[in-house]
Amino acid sequence: MGLPLAFLAPWALAGLVVLPLVWLIVRITPPRPQRIPFPPFRLMRDLAPKDETPARTPPWLIALRLAIAALAVLAMAGPIWNPPPAGVGAGPLLVLMDDGWPTASSWDKRVAYAAGAMEGAARRGAPVAFAAASTPRALALSDAAAALEQLRALKPQAYLPQRAALLDQARAFLGQHKDAHVLWLADGLEANGARDFATALANAAGGLDIVTDDRAPRALAGAQNEAGALSVRVLRMGPGGAQHGVVRAYDRKGLSLADAPFDFGAANETKARIELPVELRNEVSRLDIAGERSAGAVSLIDDRWKRRTVGVVSGASADVSQPLLAPNYYVVKAIAPFADVRQPRIDAVDPIGQLLDDHVNVLVLADLGLAPGETRERLEKYLQDGGVIVRFAGTRLAASDDDLTPVRLRRGGRVLGGALSWETPKKLAPFDKASPFFGLATPDEATVSRQVLAEPEPGLPSRTWAQLADSTPLVTAERRGRGLLVLFHMTADTTWSNLPLSGLFPEMLRRIVDMAGQNVAAPDALSGAGEESRARAQTLAPQKLLDGFGALGSPSATAKPIAADYAGAGDAAHPPGYYGAPDALMAVNALAPDATLTSADFSGLKAQRLALEAAEPIDLRAPLLALAFALFVIDAFASLWLGGALPRLSRRAATSAIVIACGALLLVAPRDAHAQKAPQAAPAQTQKAQPTRRDIEAALTTRLAYVVTGDARADAASKAGLETLSRVLAQRTSLQPGAPVGVDPARDELVFYPLIYWPIVASRPQPPREAALKIAAFMKQGGTVVFDTRDAQSARANGAATPEQRWLRQLLEGVDIPGLEPVPRDHVVTKTFYLIDEFYGRTTTGRTWIEALPPETPGEANRPARAGDGVSPIIIVSNDLAAAWASDANGEPMYPLEPGGARQRELALRGGVNLVMYTLTGNYKADQVHVRDLLQRLGH
Amino acid sequence: MAARFLTEAERRAAPEGRQAALDLARRAPALIVAAKQIAASLVHGVHGRRRAGLGETFWQYRQFMSGEAAQRVDWRRSARDDRLYVREREWEAAHTVWIWMDLSPSMAFVSDLAQQSKVERALVLGLACADLLVRGGERVGLLGLTRARASRDIVEHLAEALLHARGADGDLPPAQPVGPRERCLLISDFLVAPDALAERLAALTGRGATGHLLTVADPIEESFPFSGHVEFLDSDSPQIMRAARAQDWRQAYAQRLATHRAAIAETARAHGLNVAMHRTDRPASEALLALRTRLEEAA
Repeated sequence: MGLPLAFLAPWALAGLVVLPLVWLIVRITPPRPQRIPFPPFRLMRDLAPKDETPARTPPWLIALRLAIAALAVLAMAGPIWNPPPAGVGAGPLLVLMDDGWPTASSWDKRVAYAAGAMEGAARRGAPVAFAAASTPRALALSDAAAALEQLRALKPQAYLPQRAALLDQARAFLGQHKDAHVLWLADGLEANGARDFATALANAAGGLDIVTDDRAPRALAGAQNEAGALSVRVLRMGPGGAQHGVVRAYDRKGLSLADAPFDFGAANETKARIELPVELRNEVSRLDIAGERSAGAVSLIDDRWKRRTVGVVSGASADVSQPLLAPNYYVVKAIAPFADVRQPRIDAVDPIGQLLDDHVNVLVLADLGLAPGETRERLEKYLQDGGVIVRFAGTRLAASDDDLTPVRLRRGGRVLGGALSWETPKKLAPFDKASPFFGLATPDEATVSRQVLAEPEPGLPSRTWAQLADSTPLVTAERRGRGLLVLFHMTADTTWSNLPLSGLFPEMLRRIVDMAGQNVAAPDALSGAGEESRARAQTLAPQKLLDGFGALGSPSATAKPIAADYAGAGDAAHPPGYYGAPDALMAVNALAPDATLTSADFSGLKAQRLALEAAEPIDLRAPLLALAFALFVIDAFASLWLGGALPRLSRRAATSAIVIACGALLLVAPRDAHAQKAPQAAPAQTQKAQPTRRDIEAALTTRLAYVVTGDARADAASKAGLETLSRVLAQRTSLQPGAPVGVDPARDELVFYPLIYWPIVASRPQPPREAALKIAAFMKQGGTVVFDTRDAQSARANGAATPEQRWLRQLLEGVDIPGLEPVPRDHVVTKTFYLIDEFYGRTTTGRTWIEALPPETPGEANRPARAGDGVSPIIIVSNDLAAAWASDANGEPMYPLEPGGARQRELALRGGVNLVMYTLTGNYKADQVHVRDLLQRLGH
Repeated sequence: MAARFLTEAERRAAPEGRQAALDLARRAPALIVAAKQIAASLVHGVHGRRRAGLGETFWQYRQFMSGEAAQRVDWRRSARDDRLYVREREWEAAHTVWIWMDLSPSMAFVSDLAQQSKVERALVLGLACADLLVRGGERVGLLGLTRARASRDIVEHLAEALLHARGADGDLPPAQPVGPRERCLLISDFLVAPDALAERLAALTGRGATGHLLTVADPIEESFPFSGHVEFLDSDSPQIMRAARAQDWRQAYAQRLATHRAAIAETARAHGLNVAMHRTDRPASEALLALRTRLEEAA
């Protein structure tokens, strides 16, 4: 095939013929000689030049300059690496496209390739015909634009289309157009006779190009919910493509549950194991290969994959020393591979109740007589709710008067037992078609020597799932409510039969367990309602179907319902997806559980094989020009050096020149396309980063906080005031607050502070809206904000609002504020630590507003304190509390009070202590008032 | 091999223009300091004439002869006996040395093998000699530029004179006759025609002067370390000579140089001058020491 190199302007290569001329010119024009001033010049003046021929240009310099010239010529010719495919011949072009799921992962490339081929044909003036494997129709020539339209409308399918119809159409077309050239974009899978298809095409067409993708698609098949893990087979067609990968499990809501890595190694198949607790595993509804966009890389999981929990209870006393004789030993062994077995604790008082509490899906009762009582009722309810009870007969069952059986049993010693009554132990009869065991082979060596007998009654045959060779029922079952009651007319151990030793036994149990939790559409299905109606009832309509890319969507119009026992891969009529009722979906996958991917073998065919990947053309002009430029720079330096100019440059200058040259080369060199795809971290995610150190400290120590207003005086007063208050709190109460902090409500996290003091400064601009929202959230979370309007002296009752009040109103606009009232005298905030009447600050005339208490009930009329349900989220004061609290390090007050006096300062501090205690203890003091009543009551 | 002429500003050591004079003045202190440092390393004493005359050192007492001025009587000696004595001192006469430094363009040349350009070396040596000679009691002047004098600041004086000199950058010494028993010190690269030099030397020494001739040469002028394609530039003319293979010229050049040097030396000796050689890759003090020795010998 040669180099994948083409030239846009090949005639420009003619410029290469001037290279010898360049060589000649360069050769006879040597570099500038060294110029050396020489005072003894006159001594040599008559020194006749013996050899006038100048020094020849060094060969390497000639080579360098020739290379520059050649690169320039090549660049002018417009070289392209991996040129787009040039059409072959002048005849019409037939483009056939596979559009099954294997093509989905490289769909865009395939479409681009086909479009490129069609455009190439259009340039040649050749007509184009186009068809996809999933929608074969009569092929007709059209212009490229129409074909392109068809191509762009095409989407990959979730199944593997059959190519037979397409082949017929192609043959018909090629019969008419002998000179047509066929381009087949194959998915590379041998499935559905790819080689035969290619052979037929090659024979019919004038020329055939088969385009395959080197990156083989990967697929999932055969998901199995095993003990301990959900395993799935990961397949690939052959080496090529990613070697490693991750299988990801999603639940029904599309949330990712777990990842499982896989590595193909040298094989084409590997297993991924998703290890999850069984409850989570049962939630898995979809597995897919991360990063693989195709329906084949999706494995849908339905209820059939759910791993059931089976509780096993035995009537026999547990004999741990002889486990092989325990009645439940074989049952547990048989069930364990496909379900989780739960057994009651040995010392359990109510083993059945305990297992029912565990919500087991299936309850196995091995030789257990059930007396009427609470347990019996619970079992009945369990059955009604959809549980499955599997009972095994035995001496206890035979002896007890137990009617929790599917059929009435003969009782009172009418159990046929022992080898005496039968000459030989009986074998099993082949299973009936209606039986869920149908299809299982009955081994000859499995015999039954004893059994309990069913009372012959009308419904008996329809309830019989298995019978002996003499038609006596061995397994009977009955639906009760939504549940199922199954009785094995033999013991769970080997005393009555050796069936538990045979391979049939686990299979039978498996089928029974598989029925657990299935909401069977027709409850009377087991009651012999007829095969036809059952099949009709069991038809499941498509619910959600996969598209070719592996995304679930609404079903297409062509999708047909599936039978309830449909067990195959999806096809054109039944595309992969979910079928059935929304709460009992049945999954159909793109690949059968035992599917393998075989790559198609196209060797030896009269066809040209092309690679899809190679379709990316690279324009070599820029790199060539860059290289020429770099060589030119080198040439310039070399000329300088030969001319003797370079040594005069200092070493540093030379170094920096080389660095600059290299840097320029790097800049000019074409960037790798991936460099532009820098990983874009989700900024919002990363921003929610570590809590700050300040937050950590605030969370560790209770501390007061004030809002930094930006007004230096107010902030200084707040800081000093809260520091003093903290000191007073530490002295007088058991609270040891940390140093108060200033917060910015718009920026800081507020949740750590029980109380935030916010002095209002009307001259400051309003904080941003987030601040009000955060304050609102803070109040909702149980924090308390004390707004101090500090306008007691300018405010007039019933007068116009002061600037501070207006500022506060504007701030709280839109914030959910409870109804406020002036602090009533019996409010708990006046009693939390000190008994106070008013909250004094720098002034004493201002009123304090607090969340309105619920109306007084008659019962608490003479209580000294009242409180609401919680702490008031907002307290508005106007007395400038912080200024009254504030004192310096020596305890000297910092601000003058009005009217003044040490008593007022003390009262202000007491008010502050009460506020803090109120926010921290809530209505506890209001409860304290009941103490006397409580003590009295206790005394009686 | 890198070599260059000094730029116009650098090379105008004895410049014509004012700007060039300022430029030399800017560099003069450095040269002066260098000259003084080198001179200080050599000590040259005032040497007596071995006869009575004007001087400071006692020479002899002789009897007073009538007719002499009475003030010349040495009364202290005369008081010892009845005769009158006159105290005579040794005659201490200073030589006059004329210095000429070649400041022509061919001197303004430095290669990267040399420590200093030729002109700078010539200046340093000339000024250092002047300092040395003045400290030894001689009188020094610049040939054709200044009077001979013996002041302590002779170096500054001479440097100043060089600054103000005009038309002194010929590559031949001026044809100014030098008095008998005076000496001259000629510092140059002497890349001139021997005949022209002989003519000037004849004029200089016509009245019986002697002197020294110091040839300053750049190392690459002697070794001719060139090879390959080289263009040679002349210092005095815009001529260019192109050598395709410069290494081929080395032999012939060395021969020419030797011949030229021999001719110059011959000319100098014919006029009674010593010839010495100094290369600018050697320290200046070396040349100065040699000069001093020769000057003393001549004395």
